[in-house]
Amino acid sequence: MIIAILLLLLALFGAPLFSIIAGGALWGFHSEEINLQVVTIEIYRLAEMPILLAIPLFTFAGYLLGESQAPARMVRMAHALLGWMPGGLAIVALTACAFFTAFTGASGVTIVALGALLYPALQQAGYPERFNLGLITTSGSLGLLFAPSLPLILYGVVAQQASLDTPVNIDDLFLAGILPGLLMVILLSGWSMWKQPKGQLTSKLDSKEIFAAIRESIWEIPLPFLVLGGIYGGYIAVSEAAAVTVVYVLIVEVLINREVKIRDLPLIIRESMVLVGAILLILGVSLASTNYMVDADVPTRLFETIRAYIDNKWTFLIALNIFLLGLGMILDIFSALIIIVPIILPIAVGYGINPVHLGIVFLANMQLGYFTPPVGMNLFIASYRFNKPVMELYIATLPFFFILLFAVLVITYVPSLSLVFLGP
Amino acid sequence: MLQRGVKILHNIEDSLLVIILLSMVTLAFSQIVMRNLFDTGVFWLDPLLRVLVLWTGLLGALVATRQDKQISVDVLTRILPAKLKIISNIITRSFAAIVSAIIAWYSFRFLIDEWYSGVTAFASVPAWLTESIIPFGFAVIALRYTLQVAALLIQALKGDDGQ
Repeated sequence: MIIAILLLLLALFGAPLFSIIAGGALWGFHSEEINLQVVTIEIYRLAEMPILLAIPLFTFAGYLLGESQAPARMVRMAHALLGWMPGGLAIVALTACAFFTAFTGASGVTIVALGALLYPALQQAGYPERFNLGLITTSGSLGLLFAPSLPLILYGVVAQQASLDTPVNIDDLFLAGILPGLLMVILLSGWSMWKQPKGQLTSKLDSKEIFAAIRESIWEIPLPFLVLGGIYGGYIAVSEAAAVTVVYVLIVEVLINREVKIRDLPLIIRESMVLVGAILLILGVSLASTNYMVDADVPTRLFETIRAYIDNKWTFLIALNIFLLGLGMILDIFSALIIIVPIILPIAVGYGINPVHLGIVFLANMQLGYFTPPVGMNLFIASYRFNKPVMELYIATLPFFFILLFAVLVITYVPSLSLVFLGP
Repeated sequence: MLQRGVKILHNIEDSLLVIILLSMVTLAFSQIVMRNLFDTGVFWLDPLLRVLVLWTGLLGALVATRQDKQISVDVLTRILPAKLKIISNIITRSFAAIVSAIIAWYSFRFLIDEWYSGVTAFASVPAWLTESIIPFGFAVIALRYTLQVAALLIQALKGDDGQ
């Protein structure tokens, strides 16, 4: 108990999370008089999960896309196609961000890469500044639920370690995220149409501009079809799709468009692998700590304790929502997934919750946590990027927060929204 | 002299990362091509790719430590006054150094056992070789945190509050 409190304190004071988890595992095994070499064996399991190959490959592809002019082209195309609608430009922003986040995995990259393009455009169209700030900050985590986002894959990886009766399939997660993700985009689009400044000129549907925009993006347009078609169609496995994506993006951005120079590649590789390394290190030591916790029956005992207070699935889901919202404010999505899912998953399954549905609920909540005041990460990234006080961002994001909170509640209490495309 | 050594180490880490990632891409892609177009495959490619994931992870983690980009909770540290922040950094980084050193030590012992037992990972590659990144990685991480603590201690003793 004392050890647990000490570790918690260290974590709060900013000790690297991997050291906290590893410290806990080492202490646990030590007190059970198990040889600590077991930790090495657990970390080595990183080399025994084929799906993990997708993580470095997709991350590298995402960073590459971010370094090229692809985001600008994507905004242009979305504008040509959607700009004529009421609230068109805001919807362009939402769609572009959701799309970009799905491919880059929501690490704040979206706000940095797309914010600079969208913010001035929205301002020019006459949207109030506060609305723009709120929209961009909110969009920074939109799209987490769409394939092939990194958090979806990571949830699948962690859930597969939990040896459930029906193992979680990553393809199922990709299917389950579609409608909940669309719900978020549609609700936010509706709000943007409502808030559209009076007398705003919507651009006309211009076939010339559409043609030009499509021609400019001609090489990137096949990418989503290639990846999503391949995965959803069952032609290629997720990690294979990742390999195909990297090769495709390398050829397009380095050889055809020539926007990324070959000599810049080492730096892009290094920066993307720093993120991957930080995530995999936590995953590796968590395999050890999870193993210890399962040995010590922690999830089972926790379940019994909770069941004394919460007797049905719905009450549990309410408690889960509150807990995850708080968690999302202090932990980034990757560590939260790796650390908390192994504990929560068996409990949720005990309450009869579908593990795939739990994954979507978990991610939707964490997405909200990204901009929940006072400490949501994207609030600070946006504050830094647009040079605005954080306080202003709290106010700016508030309406968006309530809209997405509503979406999260729908996603939580209507499981069929996530599960409708899954087989029986 | 020391600085040059550090720089060489950084270069080795960076180059290894680039080489490993690019070989991962090439190997994974050629495996797909062979499997789908020619209906063949190299049986040791898949285990090799999985080992490369482990290596990328730990090398990436080394660089993350170097750039102080390990994932941590920063709710409290963001509001701490500069002096307290140095103290809390000294404590938390010492902790990280100790934990990493313990893992490095036990991993090293594990490696020696594997060496004697002569287990192979795949094809005729010995298991100790594929596992060697674990003790190496954690040893370097431990060393980096120790150096960071030393730098912070010097800063604290000089009475420099980092402003």
